[in-house]
Amino acid sequence: MTATVHPDDAAPEGVVIKGAAPDEGPGRSVSTEFRRGLAAMMPILLGVAPFALVLGSQAAMKGLSPLEVALMCGLNFAGGSEFVAIELWRSPPQIALIAGMTLLVNCRHLLMGAAFARHLRSLRPWQAALVLFVMADETWALGMDDARRRMAATGRPGISLPYYAGLAVSLYVAWVAVTVAGAVVGPVLGDPHAYGFDMAFTAVFLVLVRGMWKGWRRALPWPVSLGVAAVTHLLVPGAWYVPAGTLAGLAVAYVVAGHETREAAP
Amino acid sequence: MNDLARYVALDVPSLLAILSMMAVTYGTRVAGFLVLRNRSLSPRATAVLEAVPGAVLISVIAPAFTTTNPADLAGLAVTLAMACRFPMLPTVIVGVAATALLRHVL
Repeated sequence: MTATVHPDDAAPEGVVIKGAAPDEGPGRSVSTEFRRGLAAMMPILLGVAPFALVLGSQAAMKGLSPLEVALMCGLNFAGGSEFVAIELWRSPPQIALIAGMTLLVNCRHLLMGAAFARHLRSLRPWQAALVLFVMADETWALGMDDARRRMAATGRPGISLPYYAGLAVSLYVAWVAVTVAGAVVGPVLGDPHAYGFDMAFTAVFLVLVRGMWKGWRRALPWPVSLGVAAVTHLLVPGAWYVPAGTLAGLAVAYVVAGHETREAAP
Repeated sequence: MNDLARYVALDVPSLLAILSMMAVTYGTRVAGFLVLRNRSLSPRATAVLEAVPGAVLISVIAPAFTTTNPADLAGLAVTLAMACRFPMLPTVIVGVAATALLRHVL
């Protein structure tokens, strides 16, 4: 790298990446950083695309139009809550139930946003607002990882905005485009029940839960949630089994975490 | 109704549900940044928050486990076994195919 060149010379339109690591030097222009973000997201997109296809086709089977699928995925942009919303979707949708479950599924954003905060402090408010709008599991994980590396190099917190933009644009475009494709193609396949397509949802959720495995103890809420939700489903009409099972699982998580904290104490 | 109209259909209850999802989700994204940036959560609160997504997902699919239809139960068992070991796509394909096959056979 030609470290003698001032960063301004290399960056297009004189834009310098704010807080760029000195050892990353010049040449790390906005467009280079943006492309680095696009590239970093590519392998993840391979894993995300099948989920998006399944989500789009299930949404279409629940009666959502491709435009409605695009709006949901583009405005909400949080896959887990979209799967839950589609599973609970009736015509017309029960808005309070869907909003409440969306809140529960996306509670983890509170932790993610809190962890991200120190790296966003130097941004202007509108920049931080945009960064947070596209903060999903994948963009957050890669963005945090990059910010940690930069901090190790420079000693200062802060994200590379163009890198993060590259991550976000690729994930956002892929998520909305592929779910809409699923919504257009899905209904062509016909009645889902006759072919076993209704099992797709269960399969997706089981794989998602498997990915959250962090040992037996952290999995203790799962059988409790399953049991309470199943019994509630049999006894109580409507979709109350979801909050009932969720809260039962969280009660177990609360007790388990209490044991862990006590054991950790000397 | 022609194809284009079907693709861009948008009714008010659906739009309201989608907008409420957007408001709630963006709220969770911004609230963590604004409220928690200067505080630290207790390990216990963190553990409970981390348990939320799994508890929700399992509760949502719980009705599938209440079926008394033997074909559906067997299909569920195959799907569960696949989900323990394999990635998303093979699990979905095998789960759906096994369930379809079992419904025709049993």
